[in-house]
Amino acid sequence: MSWLRLLKAESRKLATTRLPLGFLAVVGLVAAVVAVAVLMGAGTDDAEGLFDTIEAQTSLLSFGMNAMIIGGLFGAIVAAREYAHGTAVPMFLAGPNRYRAMLAQLAVVVFFGGVIGLVGGGLTIAAGALALPVVDFQLLLPVDVAVRLVATSALAGAIGAGLGAGIGALIRNPGGAVTAAVAILLLGPPIVAQLVNDAAAWVPGSLIDVISGLAQEPSLVTAIGALAIWGLVPVVIGMFAVQRRDVI
Amino acid sequence: MHALEIDHLTKRYGDNLAVDDLTFRVEPGRVTGFLGPNGSGKSTTMKILLDLATADDGSATIGGTRYRELADPFRTVGVILEPNAFHPARTGRNHLRVVADAGNLPSTKVGETLRLVGLSDAADRGVGTYSLGMRQRLGLAAALLGDPPILVLDEPANGLDPEGIRWLRDLLRSRAADGKTVFVSSHLLAEVEHLADDVVVINRGRLVTTGAIADLRKIGTSVRTPSKRSLITALDGADCLVETQIDGSLLVSGIPAAEIGDRALAAGVALHELSPHVGSLEDLFMGWTASPTATDAPPTKKEKVLT
Repeated sequence: MSWLRLLKAESRKLATTRLPLGFLAVVGLVAAVVAVAVLMGAGTDDAEGLFDTIEAQTSLLSFGMNAMIIGGLFGAIVAAREYAHGTAVPMFLAGPNRYRAMLAQLAVVVFFGGVIGLVGGGLTIAAGALALPVVDFQLLLPVDVAVRLVATSALAGAIGAGLGAGIGALIRNPGGAVTAAVAILLLGPPIVAQLVNDAAAWVPGSLIDVISGLAQEPSLVTAIGALAIWGLVPVVIGMFAVQRRDVI
Repeated sequence: MHALEIDHLTKRYGDNLAVDDLTFRVEPGRVTGFLGPNGSGKSTTMKILLDLATADDGSATIGGTRYRELADPFRTVGVILEPNAFHPARTGRNHLRVVADAGNLPSTKVGETLRLVGLSDAADRGVGTYSLGMRQRLGLAAALLGDPPILVLDEPANGLDPEGIRWLRDLLRSRAADGKTVFVSSHLLAEVEHLADDVVVINRGRLVTTGAIADLRKIGTSVRTPSKRSLITALDGADCLVETQIDGSLLVSGIPAAEIGDRALAAGVALHELSPHVGSLEDLFMGWTASPTATDAPPTKKEKVLT
């Protein structure tokens, strides 16, 4: 019961600030950028290669990695600002079992990260569907591929949000947490992939390609598991830090 | 009834000893002021009591139970710790709704408590637009939401206007009169003097003194005599401190007035006045905490100060 009431409080917390709407606006903006890219790309010499196959359109309209990055930033800001604003205190006073209090926050953040991914994935495909005919191409994505893209995006958004929340709980400073999330999701993977050849298949971008159907190796289940580990490791470290450290 | 018990509490931050073997008790039915200079360990002690920080040694309990083991924390303890612990964009009403959700309290209490603290008109504004006094009232509203028998308040009067301070004083006094426990840290000594029944004074993390304000303020006996030197000689051997006041009278502390009178009579010293000397809390506090090493109670082993 106490977990449910904490869940309700965390949901209300999120719903009573403008942050979720801000992030939904960001995914809308990214979808708009995709539409603009289609319109501008149509005038280039490579236009046919970019837009005229299912594979090319799948790659163009895949929102998965964007969802993971945006979800990561969202989770990092939500978790870290709780400490910056001191609003973590009432939650830990209401739920002195800190694991339970953090799990409630995590559940809400992960859920909304999934929503961000879902909306972003859907809007991106919609943007493609609207923009492609304008430049005399058709949307070639079969429904099952489109659904898989949106589902991948939702999964990546949720995992990214979990990753961000773990980092936020560990760093407790919104600026620092955002920087760390960007470093882990955006800057780190290409560097690691360059340094260690075998690691390239295990960075989020490659795993999301597998889940989206754009790549085949490793298997789908392995890719989902590996992507989940990217989120779980920061979550476990964050929960451990919350349990061990003083709240304020 | 719930007493708060701090038992040999110790907390270190690196090399800094924030709380040093601190022991005291806060009784129900009384308002207890928690005093100490900035950085003396008051907030740290409160955070440990509320399980927001971990002690290195000792314990802090609420009616014999650790905070984390309370069955219904928000209906047991109301807390103010930081004056700005709000999301600036969230409205006051929504802040209280979040607290009510977390504490499993009925949402009907939100409007009721907002009225109690005088924030009904501003309830639907973002907290970022609130003055410090309004934020304090909102913090108090959150603390009172579950109508708990215990209040633990860190500097609740900060930023309140005189009317607000009076309202707070009346509120806390009435709760104590109902048998509830009120533990309030403050640096507003004059306010504590009006508000509190008991005080706990700490400095550098250590207990300086604790007890009823009325008793602590009786710091000695004021004595007027035309034969000061004879009286000082008569008091020789008594475990007391004798000081000369600005008005020429002697302040004798450490022994009861009756013993001063008896010794004067035995020595044949005429006394023109023998009355209790009551100090202000501010004077006492400055004396307790002025010295950088002042971590002991007011001196009990007296030494004579020659005039």
